[in-house]
Amino acid sequence: MNHSHSLWRAEASLLLRSNRNVLALILLLVLSAASVWSGIVQVQDQRATIERVEREQVRDLAAVEEANAGPEGEAGYNAYYAFMLTQDPPPPLAFAAIGQRDLQPYVLRVRALGLQSQLYDSETYNPELALPGVFDWAFVLIYLLPLVVIALGHDLVTAEREGGRLRLLLSLPGNGLWRRRVGLRYTAVLLAIGLPLIIGAMIMAAPAVSIATMILIAALYSAFWFGLAMLIGGATRASTTAAATMIGCWIILTLILPTLAQAVIARAVPVAKGVDLTLAQREVVHHGWDVPKEETFARFFVNHPEWRGQEEFEGRFHWKWYYAMHQVGDEAVAADVSAYRDSLKKRETMTKLLGYVLPGVGTMNVLHRMADTDIQGQLAYQDSIAAFHTKLRQFYYPYFFEEQAFDHSDFAMIPRYEPRSSGGTPPTEALAALAFLSLLVLALGSRRLLNAGREQGGR
Amino acid sequence: MTNIFTAPAIAIDGLHHSYGANPVLRGLDLTVQRGEIYALLGGNGAGKSTTLSALLGFLRPCSGSVRVCGTDPVADARAARSQMAYVPENVSLYEHLTARENIGYFLALAKAERGGDAIEAALSAVGLTQAAKDKRLSGFSKGMRQKVAIALALARDVPVLLLDEPTSGLDPRAVLEFNRLLDAAREREVAVLMVTHDLVSAVDIADRIGFLSEGKIEEEQTASTAGPRFDLNALHDRYTLVAGAPA
Repeated sequence: MNHSHSLWRAEASLLLRSNRNVLALILLLVLSAASVWSGIVQVQDQRATIERVEREQVRDLAAVEEANAGPEGEAGYNAYYAFMLTQDPPPPLAFAAIGQRDLQPYVLRVRALGLQSQLYDSETYNPELALPGVFDWAFVLIYLLPLVVIALGHDLVTAEREGGRLRLLLSLPGNGLWRRRVGLRYTAVLLAIGLPLIIGAMIMAAPAVSIATMILIAALYSAFWFGLAMLIGGATRASTTAAATMIGCWIILTLILPTLAQAVIARAVPVAKGVDLTLAQREVVHHGWDVPKEETFARFFVNHPEWRGQEEFEGRFHWKWYYAMHQVGDEAVAADVSAYRDSLKKRETMTKLLGYVLPGVGTMNVLHRMADTDIQGQLAYQDSIAAFHTKLRQFYYPYFFEEQAFDHSDFAMIPRYEPRSSGGTPPTEALAALAFLSLLVLALGSRRLLNAGREQGGR
Repeated sequence: MTNIFTAPAIAIDGLHHSYGANPVLRGLDLTVQRGEIYALLGGNGAGKSTTLSALLGFLRPCSGSVRVCGTDPVADARAARSQMAYVPENVSLYEHLTARENIGYFLALAKAERGGDAIEAALSAVGLTQAAKDKRLSGFSKGMRQKVAIALALARDVPVLLLDEPTSGLDPRAVLEFNRLLDAAREREVAVLMVTHDLVSAVDIADRIGFLSEGKIEEEQTASTAGPRFDLNALHDRYTLVAGAPA
């Protein structure tokens, strides 16, 4: 066994003899394992829900077909009663970073009526879930890991000085004392936070490269906090001062500044509620009953001229008028929908920029993008629903306008939703910004620690 | 070029050092030869600890030179530190390690790994009982901790020992044992620089005694080879004058 190995072993033994250090590491390991377990349970619940709805969907469709499809079947009744299932199965990394998935719908059954009223109909957050946030691996990494780093690293120099060992330690000819101590703590923290993630990834069959990238992100984020611990620990002479300052930094960097910044963003970029779009669309549709049918068709033909000349019908009601009214309702709120989505995207962009200077926000952005559980992922699911809904309308319109019967073979041809291919990639710029910030603070902290050792040894 | 085998173990020449605008060392000259025990006495603020810091390479002198076995501790701290062992005042090692584990750990840090026998011998030499050797330091008295630190210095087996108030906290019997250890070190040609307030202990063991005042050696006395080693009364008067303590 060479000298270097025995030194590392001696340092490890010293680290693990401290009850405080062992407790902090075990706590991190347990929290990390609990968060991964909780994430897996949530993902499995979502999968089970999707499977359950899929089974119900088959029964539902069979009932609608039996009731409405046949030689005398009307497409309008089928379109009205046949709710088609759309689902957004949890992406492979969702177990580690649940993001918006516990709040936003991941199953939505849509029919050929107005889309907007259906998209946002379920946009009702459970306040009990929204208030505390979600307990997932990303939460443990971003909010709790820094506290463990503070426990392990705030008093690297000051504890030695207060313990009367600093001058003796510095008088020894060996070098790399602080490097070994920080390196060992850093490795222990990464193992405690990373091992449960790796085991979780094996259970969930998540891609190895993605998990390796997540570990890299954890390594960068931990490096930031260790750098800060060295910077502050090296600049103070008392352990209590160092700990209090570090806790202050944690509160400011992970709680106060992100909250204030989000409040500023929310004020700068107001976003209407999705349910307002639902109500606006319904208003237009309801108003459609009170205006002459010609007026509704005139608005409908602006974007669907291919059906012009086929609007005539006998009687007071016809499905083509009814569905045209819904189409017009959607198109009437198209500008509002676009503004709503633009506002969400603008907020997302500003949050991304915020992540360039706040490592906690940056880490969260990167993890949620990788897991595809952020607003971008949610909008992508809505886009895929909208595309499916367009196919659904295009399928039914010939039946309405050409007044074709809707029998069992037609029923079998109703389009089915194909889930989008989920799974985000790490945003390069955000990752580079996190790496730059973390390595800068780590380098400054290392330098400060070395100088502090010398300065405090001399006095 | 200085030959490290013939150069004085400790050579300080015209050393000046200030903390900000406050001068602490003002032209200190001090030499300690191999196999010599030098006791540096002085009052508070005389510059004793600063002298040790300069030897350990903790500070960069304003002017003058410092050499440990011919090596400049600022220019090549690692080489200089590999030649000396330092025992600080009020040392407290790692509380949750045993005496034996502490020695093993610090030796590893000093890249001076010794076998278990050498550690055992060092701990026995300072008078620790067999039970105490495997006891955690949290249960040790100040004197016992001091003994462990001294055992560490002995176990390193280096040519220079720097001792900061080494007998503070030791009971009279332990002081006698300690003096015997220093005697043995002297026989092994180890140079010892001890900074102390304890005039009696210095008189008992030192070959030379220097009085440090206002950053330089005011007076130096060498032990007599015949009769009493030092005139304790004269030293006491001198020390009182230099240290500014009441007679």
